[in-house]
Amino acid sequence: MNTAPLIALYQPDDILAWEGASPIIARQFLSDVLECADRLPTATAVLNMAQDRYRFLIGLAAAILRRQVTLLPQSTAAKTLADIAARWPDCYCLTDGLDTPVRLPVFHFARGSASVASRFMIPAIPLDQPVVVAFTSGTTGAPSANTKTWKALVNVAHDTGACLGLGGANRPSIIATVPQQHMFGLEASIMLALQHGCAVYTGRPLFPADVGTALEQVPAPRILVTTPLHIKALVAHSAALPSIDRILSATAPLPKELACEAERAFQTQVHEIYGFAEAGSVAARRTTQEDVWRPLDGISMAQEGENWVVRAAYLPKPVPVPDHISVHSDHTFALHGRRTDQVNIAGHRASLIQLSQRLMEIAGVEDGVFFIPDEGGEAMTTRLIAFAVAPGKRIEDIRTALRSLIDPVFLPRPVFLVERLPRNATGKLTREALVKLADECRRNGHRGL
Amino acid sequence: MNPPDALPLERDVATLIVNTLRLKIDPAVIDPEQPLFREGLGLDSIDALELSLAISQTYGYELRSNDPDIKTIFASLRDLCGAIDKNRTK
Repeated sequence: MNTAPLIALYQPDDILAWEGASPIIARQFLSDVLECADRLPTATAVLNMAQDRYRFLIGLAAAILRRQVTLLPQSTAAKTLADIAARWPDCYCLTDGLDTPVRLPVFHFARGSASVASRFMIPAIPLDQPVVVAFTSGTTGAPSANTKTWKALVNVAHDTGACLGLGGANRPSIIATVPQQHMFGLEASIMLALQHGCAVYTGRPLFPADVGTALEQVPAPRILVTTPLHIKALVAHSAALPSIDRILSATAPLPKELACEAERAFQTQVHEIYGFAEAGSVAARRTTQEDVWRPLDGISMAQEGENWVVRAAYLPKPVPVPDHISVHSDHTFALHGRRTDQVNIAGHRASLIQLSQRLMEIAGVEDGVFFIPDEGGEAMTTRLIAFAVAPGKRIEDIRTALRSLIDPVFLPRPVFLVERLPRNATGKLTREALVKLADECRRNGHRGL
Repeated sequence: MNPPDALPLERDVATLIVNTLRLKIDPAVIDPEQPLFREGLGLDSIDALELSLAISQTYGYELRSNDPDIKTIFASLRDLCGAIDKNRTK
């Protein structure tokens, strides 16, 4: 049976994680994993909602040993979690907090103090074992499940590591501002670290001052796994920061100018990853030096009809690319924006059709639609607008209902209540008509919150 | 309109929030005592990051997540303005 180790390139006393400025060695990690695996309930699937990266990691590794698949919901909206729970009836929720937004059996995981075993044996994991399920918004409204085998996760970690020059003696500390439940966060913080003998920072810094503290708490060399928005905030931050050897950015296109500023300000190299939950990380580029994307090793882009798909030995079937791309003869490709129905906010993708369907599911909403307004060039984060025809309902009722139905990043701002939608003779809503309607609503002083 | 007791700093910060986050609303409709996050304005952590950048550039006040008061600082416009007033360097 083909296997790959749970963790690679660690000696027993090598540092595997930094909890603030306190090191956790590989031997301790394995003891914690074994202890947790012993205590996990019997089930086929676990919803791992641990906020602390180390606790998440212990839960993930323990679940792998118990052959339980870890579910990674794209959203923590109650409706999404309930849909998922309905599909894995024996699933339980692993959490390190107090509130669980879904009615599932709960496994509270406050890290115990597993006594450190003297034996150091790294478990071998079958490559074809399903390890995680990442959810994406399906076109029908129900989230679609994308199962990742251990092979898929390990391959992406190796390819990303190669692109950053990891391996051998280069074993940096990895700090991530992105959540571990997000596919990029899982691949670029946890999997990247564990397959290259790196030490992962267990916190998740948000503000530039937090990132500064995190960088001070771990030794150089350091890799920062982050997003364009965090990079923008860091570049504007006035205080000096400890050295950052590499910045790895994903979730949204990074403007070249910002990448140049970051390379200058931090004397670093900025690498960007392109990917999406269905396929994982797909391609990379050094943003300051190239406009095109280089597919990671083992990935190829192929044309099927009018659409492009991603192929890889570890993907069970070709995965459609959610953006418009053009592929060059040297296999690199250029991105030309998302397909019209798709929206990507902070790395969360959804279809506008699906969001509109959810809006229309709300009792009292007779008609409704989401759309993406035109933003000025400098906007880093797109936000959506929604129109609803809902006589007798208040805007606040609709916002409250939406909060339990969709991921918070897609909550519309504003929601406009209108008498009717400008549907044309065939019942379609054109973009022009919606832009015009939004202008009218604003001019008429709709409160819109 | 603003409630009569909205302070000048609150009006300025309300405008800063609306402009930074491109909320497309009249800053005057933000009730100084309504929650900024989740309920009320319904902001999230992406907004918190964008807002922290604008606050540090305008008032020279650096927000930190490990500040024990971070939850109360972002509780409402009034609380945020209290924190800015106490910590501003410009």
